[in-house]
Amino acid sequence: MSDAFQPGLELQHEIEQWYYREARLLDGREYQKWLALCAPEIRYIVPGRGNPLVDNAERGTEAMISVERELEGRDGDRLPIRDETLPYLMVRVERAFKPNSWAENPPARTRRLVGNVEITGTDGETCSVVSAFHLHWTRPGSGSFLYAGQRRDVLTRAESGAVGDLRLVRREVVLDLSDIEYPTLGLFF
Amino acid sequence: MGAKTPRVADVVNADATLIGRKAWSDPGIYELEKRGIFGKSWLFLAHETQIPNPGDFVQAFMCETPILVARGREGGIHANVNSCVHRGLPVCRADHGNAKSFVCPYHSWNYSVEGELQSIPQERYVEQKTDKSKLSLKAVPRVETWHGMIFGSFDPEIESLEQYLGDQRWYLDAFFERFESGIEFVGSPQRWILNANWKLPMENQLGDVNHGPFLHAAVIPPEANAEVFDYGHSCVSEPGHGATFRLMPEDAPLESVAWGFEGMASLLSPEIHEYLRELQMKAEERVGPLRARMKGLTYGVYPNLSFLWSNTAFKVSHPRGPGKVEYWSWSVVPADAPDEFKRILRGNHTAFFGPGGLLEQEDSEAWTQQYLGSAIDFADDRPYFYGLGVGEEKPHADLPGLVSVTANEFYARNFFLRWRDALMAVEEE
Repeated sequence: MSDAFQPGLELQHEIEQWYYREARLLDGREYQKWLALCAPEIRYIVPGRGNPLVDNAERGTEAMISVERELEGRDGDRLPIRDETLPYLMVRVERAFKPNSWAENPPARTRRLVGNVEITGTDGETCSVVSAFHLHWTRPGSGSFLYAGQRRDVLTRAESGAVGDLRLVRREVVLDLSDIEYPTLGLFF
Repeated sequence: MGAKTPRVADVVNADATLIGRKAWSDPGIYELEKRGIFGKSWLFLAHETQIPNPGDFVQAFMCETPILVARGREGGIHANVNSCVHRGLPVCRADHGNAKSFVCPYHSWNYSVEGELQSIPQERYVEQKTDKSKLSLKAVPRVETWHGMIFGSFDPEIESLEQYLGDQRWYLDAFFERFESGIEFVGSPQRWILNANWKLPMENQLGDVNHGPFLHAAVIPPEANAEVFDYGHSCVSEPGHGATFRLMPEDAPLESVAWGFEGMASLLSPEIHEYLRELQMKAEERVGPLRARMKGLTYGVYPNLSFLWSNTAFKVSHPRGPGKVEYWSWSVVPADAPDEFKRILRGNHTAFFGPGGLLEQEDSEAWTQQYLGSAIDFADDRPYFYGLGVGEEKPHADLPGLVSVTANEFYARNFFLRWRDALMAVEEE
């Protein structure tokens, strides 16, 4: 086996359990509880997925067809789909509980499977984790849709230090989309 | 056999107070829109800041027709239909980049970035020599720019872009002229598809800020809505264009006027507030005392360009048939703003608008449901009522065009009067 990071079984188990709980909270519309899993300094980014011209200098290399070169607005330049901090996420959560949030009334029914949970590195109490998800979304009168994507997360241990008490510091959601025909990309992915 | 397309005069009445459901859903009406409106108007393509260098290009659309907008080797702007003259394939698939030439995948016909046919690889195997000068990509016959905004028209006889924009420039300048180094478009637009008719997103920004307190009550704070009722103005410089803004009182505190971010004020850092304050301090000198008090809301430029001042976005509503629209939304920032501020201003657009936007998801919901309502049967004797505030719009001492409160739907009536004339002009062809 390679130079890939090898986490201990306990850490792997702890992280996976955290993701399963997070998925249950989100699909159960327990958004306040989900918000409590976010660190105050959270950055929540959904990059755009562009279709740039092939760079001839990269011809024949993996870089030519890399996912990275399609991602837009992760940093300062170009335009992401979303780039949010905690206050924005709080507005989204607050909104979900108002009956006049018409895009959520009636609310969508979602179910997500989170898998391929790979811990790619640790730094003290902080962990980088890449995972994949399929999220099924349906809403009365709006049809049903399948979202697929990758999460690139940074998790850190909460002040309690307790096992399983982790906070989301950064989430980058790489959506596998081209022509966007989804009713909304304003979900918590 | 499908239903017969109704007469345009029966779809929209003479004062445009009644707009029939078929205006939104009838395929025959849509074909008239293509010819009468999209074939004869100035259509927004891109901004010069997106293609600064020779060879830079972006994709655009004029109605459903794909357009390549490129910076030529001599620095000029070229807009061509993205379709090979040999078999019709697109000669470029990327949505942006820098190219030396455009090549059709099918037989490698090769075009310059200006659109001229440069080579036909299989030509060497035949004796006949083809006159390549007659086989350029189809060029958009008229391309003009204003403040870096690139427009194209399929009508060679159309008036100049400046004439077409007319007094709408005065309202747009209230924004553009505020920034010493101008504005820049941030990368590619967000683009997404909705099951809606193209005109409703347009109407929404043209003057319909009054849906805010209702559709968006879950997000827009009541004080922001109150300000729209107290100081809101709706202006129609000429039919089809529109501008809405708050004209703040002369003694309003500087920060309450600054650019119109009030709704999201709590989400922005103190440094951004200071930056906006400084911009506002220079506003009077740059755009004059009256326009310095303008706190913009939404604008529309006929037929399908919108500007969202408060979240600094330009939007184009590209039709994809009567019941489908591809909506494009560009983020706009002052060219000389510090990078971190550009990022934050960009976020103020994407958090609220675009496919993941907090406000836009409600709009998308309304627009798609309006289309469903427009496509139902047995209700054509209940056209949509557009009669709020008839005749209450008046000329104004200082503001060009007709002016009224934002609840007056004259902006939409004027749009549909122009729409009606445009369609009736091609109805008999």
